[in-house]
Amino acid sequence: MDLQECLQKNESSRRTDRSLVRVCDLTPDTAGQTVWVRARIHTSRAKDEEVRTDRRRGADGQTKRCGRTDEEVRTDRRRGADGTDDEEVRTDRRRGKQCFLVLRQQQFNVQALVAVGERASKQMVKFAANIVDVEAVVQKVEQKIESCTQQDVELHIQRLFVVSQAEPRLPLQLDDAVRPDTDGEEEGRATVNQDTRLDNRVIDLRTTTSQAIFRLQSGVCQLFRDTLTKKGFVEIQTPKIISAASEGGANVFTVSYFKTSAYLAQSPQLYKQMCICADFDKVFCVGPVFRAEDSNTHRHLTEFVGLDIEMAFNYHYHEVIESITDTMVQIFKGLRDNFQTEIQTVCKQYPSEPFKFLEPTLRLEFKEAVALLRSAGVEMGDEEDLSTPNEKLLGRLVKEKYDTDFYVLDKYPLAVRPFYTMPDPHDPKYSNSYDMFMRGEEILSGAQRVHDAQLLTERALHHGIEKIKAYIDSFRYGAPPHAGGGIGLERVTMLYLGLHNVRQTSMFPRDPKRLTP
Amino acid sequence: MPMYQVKPISEGDIKIDLPTCMYKLPNIHAQHGSSCAEYALQNGEVDPALKALEARQDEIMRKLYELKAAVDGLAKTVTTPDADMDVTTLSQTTKVSALTGSTYLDAVLGKDSGALRDIVINANPASPPLSLLVLHRLLDQSYRVLSSVHVHSSVSSVSPQLLSCLGPRHPDNYTRQSFQLGFTLIWKDVPKVQMKFHTQSMCPIEGEANVARFLFRLLGAEPKDPIAATQLDSWVDTAFFQLAEGGSKERAAVLRSLNSALGSSIWLLGHEPSLADIACACCILQNGQSSSTPANVQRWLQACRNLEHFHCISPLLQ
Repeated sequence: MDLQECLQKNESSRRTDRSLVRVCDLTPDTAGQTVWVRARIHTSRAKDEEVRTDRRRGADGQTKRCGRTDEEVRTDRRRGADGTDDEEVRTDRRRGKQCFLVLRQQQFNVQALVAVGERASKQMVKFAANIVDVEAVVQKVEQKIESCTQQDVELHIQRLFVVSQAEPRLPLQLDDAVRPDTDGEEEGRATVNQDTRLDNRVIDLRTTTSQAIFRLQSGVCQLFRDTLTKKGFVEIQTPKIISAASEGGANVFTVSYFKTSAYLAQSPQLYKQMCICADFDKVFCVGPVFRAEDSNTHRHLTEFVGLDIEMAFNYHYHEVIESITDTMVQIFKGLRDNFQTEIQTVCKQYPSEPFKFLEPTLRLEFKEAVALLRSAGVEMGDEEDLSTPNEKLLGRLVKEKYDTDFYVLDKYPLAVRPFYTMPDPHDPKYSNSYDMFMRGEEILSGAQRVHDAQLLTERALHHGIEKIKAYIDSFRYGAPPHAGGGIGLERVTMLYLGLHNVRQTSMFPRDPKRLTP
Repeated sequence: MPMYQVKPISEGDIKIDLPTCMYKLPNIHAQHGSSCAEYALQNGEVDPALKALEARQDEIMRKLYELKAAVDGLAKTVTTPDADMDVTTLSQTTKVSALTGSTYLDAVLGKDSGALRDIVINANPASPPLSLLVLHRLLDQSYRVLSSVHVHSSVSSVSPQLLSCLGPRHPDNYTRQSFQLGFTLIWKDVPKVQMKFHTQSMCPIEGEANVARFLFRLLGAEPKDPIAATQLDSWVDTAFFQLAEGGSKERAAVLRSLNSALGSSIWLLGHEPSLADIACACCILQNGQSSSTPANVQRWLQACRNLEHFHCISPLLQ
């Protein structure tokens, strides 16, 4: 066995054409082959002679193979963390000098076996998170390795190079970070709290759960783009530095802008509407949205990714509702059909019921919602907006009856909507506006917009909004009737997976208390 | 007090100008109402033990009244559950011969509380509930019904016939409030047909037969005669237990009895088609045995299929 340490930095000084095999491709078919694999050491544990004998016996099929239990691994790790690993490695040398590794590549991992020789430094294999290149023979195993994704094979390492060394002590352990909360409580095992995770986001993102979450999130974005492009929408980019607040004066970040000040866009609202006025017919945009809301809840971020849709319609704004809900349903179906692995991975750590939906999407009216809530004992006014607990309750009531986690609530009271919302022609107290809900939480707010400059000026005055001359002017030269809405990518991902905090689905979340990393 | 009581010989409130140099005592003759202060001690204080006793008694009485009110409230809700509505309220309303607005709907579903009264039916696309589709058509003729078909995420794909089985979309479907009744059919992976209405006050109705009975009741066309009503019930049971789920021998026996019953009249019950006809015909049609049935049954099946409200199921039978 030839183990080498290669602590030289890779400065791209030379190029080899050795091909690397992906961990996920290590299947029983590749057994017997010698392969090169680049992966990160996930865990490593030394093994003494005694265990080795056991294992030999196991290979004969007489006794069950004696892998070390989780308990032992944990003790090892704890010892390591206590700073007594030197002693332990000495003991290892005196013993069999054999070491089990788990090599991880993104969400896949495989067990590997290495003999620690004189030339193999303990750091090479000891510390998790080192990135290594290994040359190894793929071997089938008798008994499935339950703890790895590649359960039928293991690697017998012949050569091992360290490509990049990690610091010996990680701020958090990956195994702790993927442990379901309930397990941790029951067995007295360590779990990692939210702030530690977010402070060390790079390491937290390496966990299988995070990998799955962000792959799924990328899928949401992809499906959103694909579906809308197929429907004939055009993707647009809008400015994020704007001169006036679109959703009213509150909750807007002010930034200095040379000799004056400007705002960070709360939504691409006004710009996507201007694109409609410019005859783009159907547009969508994906981009950051800023809200200066000082609320530290599980679902508010100060910066998030908005997926916005705006479209001109022919006769009725329900055409737009149907377009948006169909897009959502296509996203849900795409996730259900193509991201089952990711959903299952997340479910292991954060168990939740699978997301249910109806096609076409259920549409209820605000009056019905109020009647439903009243029949459940809630006291509320006709024109009162839904409070968060009432939204949740309504979500439960709707789920009970229709068994869907996604629905649209139509015809909100005019008083609780922004100035550019079109009033209901039949009842001036209500408006042509709608919210969409996932698992009882609002994800989209939209409406038919006022496309008449005169009416728009009146509504803006009524709400006391100024400095939007350019916006109103764009309606003076003929604007088609249109409607739209915007969803938050992080919220959709969170609610689809049934997670409980939007910070889990934001890669580097921003909230009133967090600006780093 | 072991003494008898006499009326006061003088009125208690005689105005006397008292000298100010003396100290005051409470009037021992004055009436102080009915409280224990009547037996005030010499120095004007009430015995604290008596006071406590009185307070305790008041408290007990108050609790008793509360309990009584609670029991009365419970009694009211217990004596008027949904089940009773069938025998009392409904049997009264069925005497009203002419269909007046949404009387039957109100009687069975409860008053319109500002929300659309939406009946949700979960059915498995593998076995479409034909009888319910026929009943839907009948409801659609009597009321303004907002019909919608959805596919639940537990089902991957559904044939276009099943998606359009409730007919074309109502042109006014953008205003849910303008309808008397909602009929929402959800194709879902369920073992049995399931109907939900008031999820809080009413448990889901399971089984096609029971849902069919419920929907038929909304039409207010059930027989008033208890014997006919029992016969109808019996035919419905026969249809769903023996024709739909029974073995071949059982089915043959039912077909024979149907044949003899149809020998004397056109329809199973009286001169009008009823739920009995709908249930039996749909179960036979669903099994696809319509061609191998006895003569009377054949003729009757054809008569059923000629009814307007049966037309909606013919695309599903091919």
